[in-house]
Amino acid sequence: MTDSTAPGQQVATPADARDDTLAIAPNPPRRALGLHRRLSRVWANDPGWWGHVTAVNHTTLGLRFMGTALVFFLVGGVLAMLIRAQLATHDGAFLDTELYNQIFTMHGSIMMFLFAIPMLEGLAIYLLPKLLGTRDMAFPRLTALGYWCYLFGGLIMLTALLFGVAPRDGWFMYTPLSGATYSPGINADVWLLGVTFVEISALCAAVEITVTILRQRAPGMKLTEMPLFAWYMLGTSVMMLVGFPPLILASVLLEIERAFDWPFFAVARGGDPLLWQHLFWLFGHPEVYIIFLPAAGVLSTLIPVLCRTQIMGYGAIVASVLALVFLSFGLWVHHMFTVGIPHMALAFFSAASLLVAVPTVVQVFAWIGTMWQGRPQLVLPMYHILGFFLTFVMGGLTGVMLAVVPFNWQAHDTAFVTAHLHYVLIGGFVFPMMAAAVWWMPQITGRERVRGLGEAAFWVILIGFHGTFFIMHLTGLLGMPRRIDVYPDNPEWVWLNLTSSIFGFVMTIGFGLFVLDMALQAFMGQKQRRDPWRAPTLDWAMPLPAPPYTFASIPAPQHLDLPAREVITILARGEGLLPGAPRDRRELLTTSLGTARPDHVALLPGNTALPLGLASAIGGFVLLMLAGLYALTLLPLVLVAMLIWRWGRGMVRPVDDAPIEVAPGLSLPLQGWRRRTLGWTGSVCLLVANGTLFASLVFGIGFLALVASEWPGPEARVTSAALPWVAIAALMPVLGALAQRRSDALQRRGGDGSAAAGLGVVANSVAVAALAVLALGHMDDPTQHARDALRGVLAGYVALHALIGAGMAGFAMDQFRRAEITARHAGLLPVWRLWQDYAAVTALVAALLAVGLGMSA
Amino acid sequence: MRWLALSLVGPGIWAAGFVLVYALHGVGCARGWPAMGLAGALDLHAGALWAGWLVALGAGALLLLRLPRAKAEAGLPVWLPRVGAWIGLAATAFTLLPVALATSC
Repeated sequence: MTDSTAPGQQVATPADARDDTLAIAPNPPRRALGLHRRLSRVWANDPGWWGHVTAVNHTTLGLRFMGTALVFFLVGGVLAMLIRAQLATHDGAFLDTELYNQIFTMHGSIMMFLFAIPMLEGLAIYLLPKLLGTRDMAFPRLTALGYWCYLFGGLIMLTALLFGVAPRDGWFMYTPLSGATYSPGINADVWLLGVTFVEISALCAAVEITVTILRQRAPGMKLTEMPLFAWYMLGTSVMMLVGFPPLILASVLLEIERAFDWPFFAVARGGDPLLWQHLFWLFGHPEVYIIFLPAAGVLSTLIPVLCRTQIMGYGAIVASVLALVFLSFGLWVHHMFTVGIPHMALAFFSAASLLVAVPTVVQVFAWIGTMWQGRPQLVLPMYHILGFFLTFVMGGLTGVMLAVVPFNWQAHDTAFVTAHLHYVLIGGFVFPMMAAAVWWMPQITGRERVRGLGEAAFWVILIGFHGTFFIMHLTGLLGMPRRIDVYPDNPEWVWLNLTSSIFGFVMTIGFGLFVLDMALQAFMGQKQRRDPWRAPTLDWAMPLPAPPYTFASIPAPQHLDLPAREVITILARGEGLLPGAPRDRRELLTTSLGTARPDHVALLPGNTALPLGLASAIGGFVLLMLAGLYALTLLPLVLVAMLIWRWGRGMVRPVDDAPIEVAPGLSLPLQGWRRRTLGWTGSVCLLVANGTLFASLVFGIGFLALVASEWPGPEARVTSAALPWVAIAALMPVLGALAQRRSDALQRRGGDGSAAAGLGVVANSVAVAALAVLALGHMDDPTQHARDALRGVLAGYVALHALIGAGMAGFAMDQFRRAEITARHAGLLPVWRLWQDYAAVTALVAALLAVGLGMSA
Repeated sequence: MRWLALSLVGPGIWAAGFVLVYALHGVGCARGWPAMGLAGALDLHAGALWAGWLVALGAGALLLLRLPRAKAEAGLPVWLPRVGAWIGLAATAFTLLPVALATSC
């Protein structure tokens, strides 16, 4: 990953840099307490309540994510109990239909979007730096922004529930039920805007998890030797980058349809409700694996330690993760087997659904084999692991049943599916997460747990769960549909439902005991000795609870194979790399992507309220949209732009810093000397997500053009007079890309590239102006037909990218003016280049598509 | 980087082949290709689907053949790119097998 063209050649690379070993001399030991005090001062949160607002530290935010997710889990659990109370009798008068609909919709939405995903994000944010031997995530402010977006989005949804205007169309919000005709009011908008707000958080997490794993592993920790949890999280984060954009697109399109009457899903005007289902499940099925993979990572971490052995089949597990990441995107149509899809397409997706069981089973056998070759200890985390095996394997088998089309047709939309998905999600996520909680609570709290209560909680949960959901399979096979609130004509379902309800409350008591167990540990437990599990991983090579700086010095290659209890002292005394905080700033080491060779020293931002401000501005936009005050939404958008500029200014680093000696004989440059910084890698990740969104839009256009019944639409009013403006809008971003290259060339020669950057501003601005001319004078009314609405979306997409391109060019111009871009320091130029190239390519594709949608002579 | 990219090529070929064949299937059904003859008993739709499947299989097989000659990143083992190529080829063969077995529309 080291950029050969960049300066910074003072780097003293190890003598054996060309082979696969990496020898780095240890730093001389220092006084551990002195290092600890200075590092704590630099990395700690601000004191008092303000510290809660400005915290960007991964330990704080990871715990905050997990704590908030736990609260939402409890809320979702209460809603589940309301559902079970309603269904306990055939004519339940507990809830009316309207409220029941809101409650089951919110139960599903909360558990998926506000519990499961944030919980896995929180675990990754808390754990990854500790496992990988670094001090923090790659983008601490992004972590904080993600948290605030998650919290605000979740609060919007919960508040809506309190006021009786919560979404009520099911957690997958099928159209046309969720369209303006059948869902008037703001209920559906709460879901579309609230969930999209929360998804900002997911994308933030995905970007930084990917970058942290790829660029911040301890020196010498090759990709093929890193802890399996990191492999699982790498797969998860890539899936999030590719899986969430289709849902974001679908939500944006449906919100535009509801707010402005542009038809994407309305059949009479060229839309198709199945487009929603395709886009939703393009996200929705990978989502299952996004939730499962981190849990599987936990299992692969815990099982070998609990069995006093090594994991069996490291390579097979990595290959399984690779297979799952890809195959899970080929299954989405199995949620749509009953919508009338041709035989062959059904068979494609049925085959893929069966095939995906193979890598899952490989992992299950690897875990069983590990237990077989080791000496399993029946301690509390192992209870939850065994609970996982029992439950998840049963869920997997019913999944194979549902992958078979004829059975799927019979069981579709029945309680059988509800039972299956709870077996998969509670078996595949909740049990492993409970094992993880028990495992890492000593590290989080520095205290031992109170014996006995956790075991009782496990048994109550296990019995309650299977009593609730195993029976639900039978209820489904007897024909009970999902989501009905009464069933007066089906007395044969009563005893099954009553039994499920009773066991449901048993399960709730179990979760209550589990939470009580954790609370007792946090507040009343005895002090925990270090490394209680005698684990081999770096997450235990630190004091308990984990200090804010994580490691006093970064582990060197020779430390990676030592047991955690031996590494603790070595690292605490500063014998690793980059010891202490001698410059009183937050520094960490970045390494190369594959073999983890030291690359440069990155400076991280300190505590700041900027993420909260930015999330609040985005929240203002969401609330104004919900209120229908569309014209006023420009105000928060301007504020967002200003805060992002300020954010960017906060990333500007000094231009004259000397290389830093991170170990004897090994000096590394600061990030400003490199073109491929952490920010550059993060931008690549963001563009992957952006590209997926654009590809989903292209899919949507193709789908409607081929499948929707009302195509071609009415005669287009767009004529060839529009073509020059289309050409200007498409070619100006290309000119922007050329301007960027000119700026680059001047920067490398030490020249002033501000004029070239200024040309970039002008080119992008002209593109926006040309699109405005098209919108005002040459395009058909977008409410007329889906074709015209899609043209509008394409124009908006290009305009937004040109606008951001103009902003980046302006930022670079400002950096040239301030002399922050020099021959050694490229400033924003590499990231602008990525963006501008992407904007140019998508503008050309969008122009071709817009013209291809047809125009009159 | 090259090593990681090589590991992704095999499953990537499956993904591209799957999208290609699914798209050809959709276009063919919408445009009435099954009713258009191509050669003998082979209609245009079946021909296009077979072609898409064979191209994807061919690309996967070619990758396996060329992989030993590809220069991986120093210090990283070759097993993951190789396994990735096999995953891609096996998935292409299995998930698109309905081209040979099922009626198209």
